[in-house]
Amino acid sequence: MIKNVNEELLAKSFDANLSHVELDELQHTKNDIQAKKLLAQHGKLRQLLLRKEQDSFGPFFAERVVNQIKRLSKEIDYQIYFFFKKYQLAAVGLVIALIVLNIFLSDTITVKSVLGFENQPAGSDSDLIENLDLFNELTN
Amino acid sequence: METDDELVAKTKSGDLGAFKDLVKRYEGKVAGVTRSMLGSTADAEDVGQEVFIKFYESLKKYRGEASIGTYLTRIAINLSLNEIKKRKRRWSVFSLEDEGSAIPAEENKMDLKELLLFELDRLEPDFRAVVTLRLIEGYSTEETSQILKVPLGTVLSRLARAQVKLRKGLSEHLNE
Repeated sequence: MIKNVNEELLAKSFDANLSHVELDELQHTKNDIQAKKLLAQHGKLRQLLLRKEQDSFGPFFAERVVNQIKRLSKEIDYQIYFFFKKYQLAAVGLVIALIVLNIFLSDTITVKSVLGFENQPAGSDSDLIENLDLFNELTN
Repeated sequence: METDDELVAKTKSGDLGAFKDLVKRYEGKVAGVTRSMLGSTADAEDVGQEVFIKFYESLKKYRGEASIGTYLTRIAINLSLNEIKKRKRRWSVFSLEDEGSAIPAEENKMDLKELLLFELDRLEPDFRAVVTLRLIEGYSTEETSQILKVPLGTVLSRLARAQVKLRKGLSEHLNE
């Protein structure tokens, strides 16, 4: 009987392409009774482990998964909704603050000054008058 | 029967019925992996659900590089390993015995397959993963390497060592 049969090598022989050195080592143990016994045990173990039937989580598993997905997507929608609701008040407050600031900064209280529009430059009206003159010139 | 690609395309366009068909098609595979990794516990089903939910959420990124079965198996293994880590943290917080160190009180009443699953549960998670994929689910060593994203040599080494551990755990019973 060979002492200290390399059991890992025996186990490896089921799955791996062994090197020449490993193959030589295995060859020497080929007729060893202990090695044969170990090999048989490993073979039996592998046979026992191999799945023979399809497993299952039981009935309505797929339905549970789909329901969970629907529930999670609703939760995300709620989160988005509550996010906007939470900051809605802050957004309204900010708008009011900006309006108040515009009122303080402007000389007059008009719709444009409250909304923060700058006064129209003087040139823009005269441009309009010039355009009207051009129209008259072309038509006369 | 619709192909996986057709069901994926339908799911991407919002058809949950198509996704339900995908779940039914691959439930067995995912159940096999999570149960091998976590035992036949409620955790295994919870993780199984999580696998499909993660798959659904990641469908936009799924380009068909791997088959759906392989993709789901990879998610199942990763989530199972995470669950095992969580369990270990729970065990240490409550100062209970380490998972897998207790010998069943009625060992002589368990059949060989049950004993084997008990021994499997005692393996380190990384070893358990290679045994699950290669020896239980029947993936090749190359596929196992791709799913776990570890080198082939590592898979072969872990497989051999895991097998030896399992064999030693069952040595008295394997001769029957």
